[in-house]
Amino acid sequence: MDYMQKIQYAANSFYNRGLELARERDLSGAAECLKRALQFNKYHTDARNLLGLIFYEMGETSDALVQWVISVHLQPEGNRADRYLDKVQRKPGQLEHASNLIRKYNQALVHAQNGSDDLAVLQLKRIVEEKPNFVKAHLLLALLYIGHEDYTKAGKSLYKVLQIDKNNRRAERYMEYVKSKTGKADVEKRKLKNAFNHREMEDNDVILPPTYKENTGWQSIINIGIGLALGVIVVLFMILPARDRSLNYQHNQEMRIYADKLNLANQEADKLRKAAEQLEAEKGKAEANLENLIGDSDSTLIQYQTLVEILQAYRSENFETAVKQYMELDTTKITNENMLNILSEIEADMAANAPAVLEKLAIQSTESGDADQALRYYEEYMKFDDRNPQIIFNMAMIYKKKGEEETSDQLFGQVIMNFDDEELAAKAKEERGY
Amino acid sequence: MINFEKELELFKPSLEVEAVSETIVKSDLTDMADIMMEIMKEIKDK
Repeated sequence: MDYMQKIQYAANSFYNRGLELARERDLSGAAECLKRALQFNKYHTDARNLLGLIFYEMGETSDALVQWVISVHLQPEGNRADRYLDKVQRKPGQLEHASNLIRKYNQALVHAQNGSDDLAVLQLKRIVEEKPNFVKAHLLLALLYIGHEDYTKAGKSLYKVLQIDKNNRRAERYMEYVKSKTGKADVEKRKLKNAFNHREMEDNDVILPPTYKENTGWQSIINIGIGLALGVIVVLFMILPARDRSLNYQHNQEMRIYADKLNLANQEADKLRKAAEQLEAEKGKAEANLENLIGDSDSTLIQYQTLVEILQAYRSENFETAVKQYMELDTTKITNENMLNILSEIEADMAANAPAVLEKLAIQSTESGDADQALRYYEEYMKFDDRNPQIIFNMAMIYKKKGEEETSDQLFGQVIMNFDDEELAAKAKEERGY
Repeated sequence: MINFEKELELFKPSLEVEAVSETIVKSDLTDMADIMMEIMKEIKDK
């Protein structure tokens, strides 16, 4: 027998064992064997199809689809998996429904693992109602019930799992724990012990026959009546209140969950509102800064531009233009350290040389009849040097020509009172009309 | 004794239908027969 044949035999052997276990409803055991069979021979279509069926039976629709799609891919003709796929996909919405349930299970698992047990239990209960063969959901539900010490409900879930998958190891382990908690383990042990403890009868043992009492017709009717009355009493005083309590409890639990969710949503909304307000304020501030940078003629950007133009005028040795630009410059807007160094050099140069240029420009403007421009130059001159009587006199003359006699008189007064230039003082007096 | 937290960690999410095609693509389908063929090929090459 060659190796390949041996491999085929091994695969067949595992498949047969898997099939046997599947027939006995040991689905997890069967799945293990079938996976082994496929490890030996991936083309074992029956093994793969059966594995898909087992997944489907345990509620794992996606895993079943994976196996059946691979199966059809490996054996496109005469493959039963084709029919299975068709069946799952044929009924409209069936696949979507299965997908939703799986997604809900995954959500419930996240809730459970994050401590939201109540929410997880609610969701899992709905899932197992819609898909009673979803083994994983039953197991998780059972574990959550165990966590809440609700062993009866846990036992019911585990019983359902063991009906689907007889030897599910996890379910068996949980069930053993549940039984130890509910005392059922002891009862089972006692039953087992009694079954094998058979005492032989001795000579002096007496067998008492069960008493037989024949009921009359009236007695039967009375007994039935009493039974019915007791039944009604039990329903009224025990079952209905318990059911009400259970419904109220469920209702309160649901309300609490919704209230928690609502609170969370409100908190989230508050947080978002505050964040939006803060962002709005920051946006306003940023817009104001931007406006300040580029908006009006006094903006920082324009001032830096003017400084650059002054430097260009220096480079082209056009000092007159440099002085004119310097008049437009708002030095308070220049804050860059490198530019401040350059600015201080320019200021020093302007202090030394600008007054002469400004005087020349003012005289030119006066001669061309632009009195306002001339005054601007003189005012700029005064920033560098306000102790030149000739400049003050010239300004006074311009104001006089403009008809602003009050200002001109004040300036003539400065020339007369504050300086020792007698010739100019005499001219000022004359102009003032002394 | 059941350790609730530990048991909870053992639960893994179920494969979602949307992830089926990706799972198929990623499936390693190498079987024993493939491995044997590979070994035999290597022996022959030597």
